[in-house]
Amino acid sequence: MMASPYVPAAMAISRAVRELADVFTWTFEVPSGFAFKPGQFNMLYVHGVGEVAISISGDPATPEHLMHTIRAVGTVTRVMEQLGEGDVMGVRGPYGSAWPIDEAKGRDVLVIAGGLGLAPLRPAILRVIAHRADYGRVTILYGARTPADLLYRQELERWRGRFDLRVEAIVDRAGRDWFGPVGMVTRLFDGVPIDPGDAVFMCGPEIMMRFAVRELEKRGVPRDAIWISMERSMKCGIGLCGHCQLAGSFVCKDGPVYRFDRIAPYLTVREL
Amino acid sequence: MDDLERVLKAHPFLAELEPDPVKFLVGCAKNVRFRVGEYLLREGDREDTLYLIRQGIVAIEVPRSGEAICIETVGAGDVLGVSLLMPAAAHLDCRARETVVALAIDNTCLQRKMTEDPRLGFAISMRLLERTYQRLSRARLQHLDVYR
Repeated sequence: MMASPYVPAAMAISRAVRELADVFTWTFEVPSGFAFKPGQFNMLYVHGVGEVAISISGDPATPEHLMHTIRAVGTVTRVMEQLGEGDVMGVRGPYGSAWPIDEAKGRDVLVIAGGLGLAPLRPAILRVIAHRADYGRVTILYGARTPADLLYRQELERWRGRFDLRVEAIVDRAGRDWFGPVGMVTRLFDGVPIDPGDAVFMCGPEIMMRFAVRELEKRGVPRDAIWISMERSMKCGIGLCGHCQLAGSFVCKDGPVYRFDRIAPYLTVREL
Repeated sequence: MDDLERVLKAHPFLAELEPDPVKFLVGCAKNVRFRVGEYLLREGDREDTLYLIRQGIVAIEVPRSGEAICIETVGAGDVLGVSLLMPAAAHLDCRARETVVALAIDNTCLQRKMTEDPRLGFAISMRLLERTYQRLSRARLQHLDVYR
């Protein structure tokens, strides 16, 4: 995207879509030649305010339509929420590791997402769908807070309508107008086939992922078949500043996607 | 009775339980069916029945004025009424969201059997404790509101 990894490129927001009450998706039109791998992120800079790491949520087959889905939760993202089409941002990237899409070929794929964690998984799901014949059974399990908090709801419903995908959604609490299951995302595990040979891609709150890994292990899925996307405070994006250091690893450079057996020892270390 | 024994044996809550609980429990159990919208339990009811769910979905709800908030759904293979070991009143509503087919085990009868056969009593208590622990773990995580 840019000549130097330190220098953001100026880009205008070409499309801004409100996804949820506090979540929005921006699209930038980027020059041809730009490419990213599913799971990677960009650093988005609001001039005079600050820079944040945001996962790319667009389709890797059309990287020129660069998409990011953002929750307004901090100082920078709350300012971002006030911006719209035509506003100019600084963008640099893509950075970080990717979901092992090729390594999963020939295997059943189990995608587990929680909350906004569906956004970094979306490019991987779209890539798998685009090359559907290369994979076995594909199952997507998604947990959200309430039915009103289901991200990409229309797309989820479209995926659910396909004969070659299994999509299940569960919420933490609901009124009587919700006809799906209610509970933790792991409650869905009993209703779908889970095999030790599955390739598992997972993204969501860290505590949810730790709990889900325990449940997957009970079903025989080994840690080296599970990949998770980690979130830490990333500043430089290129493994120099150390803000996102996790033991001997930098989440921005070695992550955010890690094979679980390689990151597991650090997840239970206090204050790391 | 043969059919009831078969159904009891097939339920995951009793599967591979030692000693075999079926011949003890068959006299305490009956098949029940709830239509959509019917309640298995309502807040304030005495919990005098242990339900082993065979089919359908039950919504566990917190009743509020004018609405109800569902905090968990349970289905085939699950158990409702796990507080049978001590006298308790239900603190939540359990409503059939689909037609529910279940085994209803009378708690007084079950407690008598568990007292008469302490091995059986221990085995069933451990199963109930396991289910209670699983539900508590899930409830704790939901309480954290992790997706916020």
